[in-house]
Amino acid sequence: MKSADRGILSRYDLQKTPNRIAYAIMLLVIVAMVASMLYPILVTLFNSLKSNVEVNSFPPHFLPQHWTFDTFKKGWNYIELPLFFRNTLIIFGGNMVVTVVVLGLAAFSLSRLNIPYGRAINFFFLAALFIPPTTYIVPNFVNLKDLGMLNTFQAFWLPAGANAFFLLLLKNFFDGISHELFEAGRIDGASDLRLFARIALPLSVPIFSTLAIFVFSTAWNDWFWPSLVMHTDKTRPLATAIYNYVINVRRLDTNVKFAMLTMVMLPPIVVFLLFQRFIIRGLHMGGVKG
Amino acid sequence: MRITARLRKHIWGYLFIVPAVVIFLLFLWMPIVKGFVYSFYHIDFVKGNSFAGFGNYRTVLHDPDVWTATKNTLYYMFLCLVIGFWVPIVFAISISELKRFQGFVRVAAYLPNVIPVVVLYGLWRWLYDPVGPINASITSFGTDPVSFMTDTNWSMISLVFMETWQQFGAAMLIYLAAVLSIPRDLYEAAEIDGAGVWKRIRHITLPFIRNIIVLLFVLQLISTSQGYQSQMAMLDGGPNQATLTYALLIVKYAFTRLDYGAASSLGVLMFLVLGGLAVLQHRLSSREVN
Repeated sequence: MKSADRGILSRYDLQKTPNRIAYAIMLLVIVAMVASMLYPILVTLFNSLKSNVEVNSFPPHFLPQHWTFDTFKKGWNYIELPLFFRNTLIIFGGNMVVTVVVLGLAAFSLSRLNIPYGRAINFFFLAALFIPPTTYIVPNFVNLKDLGMLNTFQAFWLPAGANAFFLLLLKNFFDGISHELFEAGRIDGASDLRLFARIALPLSVPIFSTLAIFVFSTAWNDWFWPSLVMHTDKTRPLATAIYNYVINVRRLDTNVKFAMLTMVMLPPIVVFLLFQRFIIRGLHMGGVKG
Repeated sequence: MRITARLRKHIWGYLFIVPAVVIFLLFLWMPIVKGFVYSFYHIDFVKGNSFAGFGNYRTVLHDPDVWTATKNTLYYMFLCLVIGFWVPIVFAISISELKRFQGFVRVAAYLPNVIPVVVLYGLWRWLYDPVGPINASITSFGTDPVSFMTDTNWSMISLVFMETWQQFGAAMLIYLAAVLSIPRDLYEAAEIDGAGVWKRIRHITLPFIRNIIVLLFVLQLISTSQGYQSQMAMLDGGPNQATLTYALLIVKYAFTRLDYGAASSLGVLMFLVLGGLAVLQHRLSSREVN
């Protein structure tokens, strides 16, 4: 047997009865874990397809007895979902542009252009990583208020450029690009801006995709901070709207509530299943570097 | 002349950095510095700010809620360790031994991470309902139903269970990658030397992932010490302040009591305590990256 085929256990271990019992218990626990992961997600979907009487019946059952589909239509018309969806996308798009342009240029300069005092400037950016964000959440809000940015999309777009962690990831990525490419470009007379736009950016698609996933999940998930900054429906993102109008409301029928939760839950699940590779890689970066 | 020549050579390098510097100053360092300044002021949006000396600090240190919140935060951090910290390690080691369906189990375990937190809140309020599915299955065994949300002994534990359900998959994937990267020959050699399965896990697997365990331990302390969103969204700090965490109290001081000065001073106090942890995390993660 090749050693690469084995894990902690070898084939020989599984011939002993106690090990087989332990392995069987382990399999059972994993099956239970998978079931308890999937059950709440599926129950959200199925609850949205039940009649309201059935959702509130006790004891609850898993599958709907009478499939009802008009809950989605009711949910869609209950609040202006397309408007909130648009706001979330506007926030995501703007944040992404700022991340690419502002952080991309800065990381490129620090990584490739050898500017004097680059290390000190780098420290100016990265020192912020030591300060837990919750400790300045209040002055952050007052600051935005002083700048007159409440209820504007700029309140999200511009601070998106103040992300020391993303800057670090980008700089590390640029550090890894072979410098012959840039030398060659320079010999051909390319300006610094051209080197960035024509060499660094196209080669950085993987890291920007990873950042896009981070930025998307923040834009889609974040409900509390937008609820402080955005006070009108015109600019409120989806998550905040759902929190205000669906989670904290008692009058809404439970099945319609679940239909709306399903609608908000499905897009990120689809994105995840499509882009698993980038997401898992991003997770490792995020996990090891804070 | 020399300085201008040098500047001219690096003019683009500096121009690339300027937008990032401005944004970091305006949206990151300004709030951080303002947090310290505000903590010595009485903030009034209408009449203007007035100097308060240590008044804010005296206010919060005499507020019994601050001590309740500190205790609750420590209790929350403790529960997250006891209930949540070991789970991803156990599952990572177990899942690494799966011969089939490993990919599916990974996706299933990570899936709850993807659903937006607002959906999480809506869903788990229903699961924890006095007549919800969890109580239905508990009472079918003949046990009394549990008031997961309104019983002060249960409320924080219920929140930690919910968050563990959602978040353990991310840490699990990080551990899993590390477990799978352990050279198989080590297990082979240990087995030939007569080491049983537990001995192999104890003396090979665990020491190999030790650094990641320590790093994720510190990361978890940092993030749980700042926890407030699920406490706020699910229970608003209740019942009877049982889930009022320190960070939630900061938010309440600012946005319910509208005392931004006192909230800032609470933030500064928190920063002084957490700063040390952040430095420790940075040390550990740079060791991990190298």
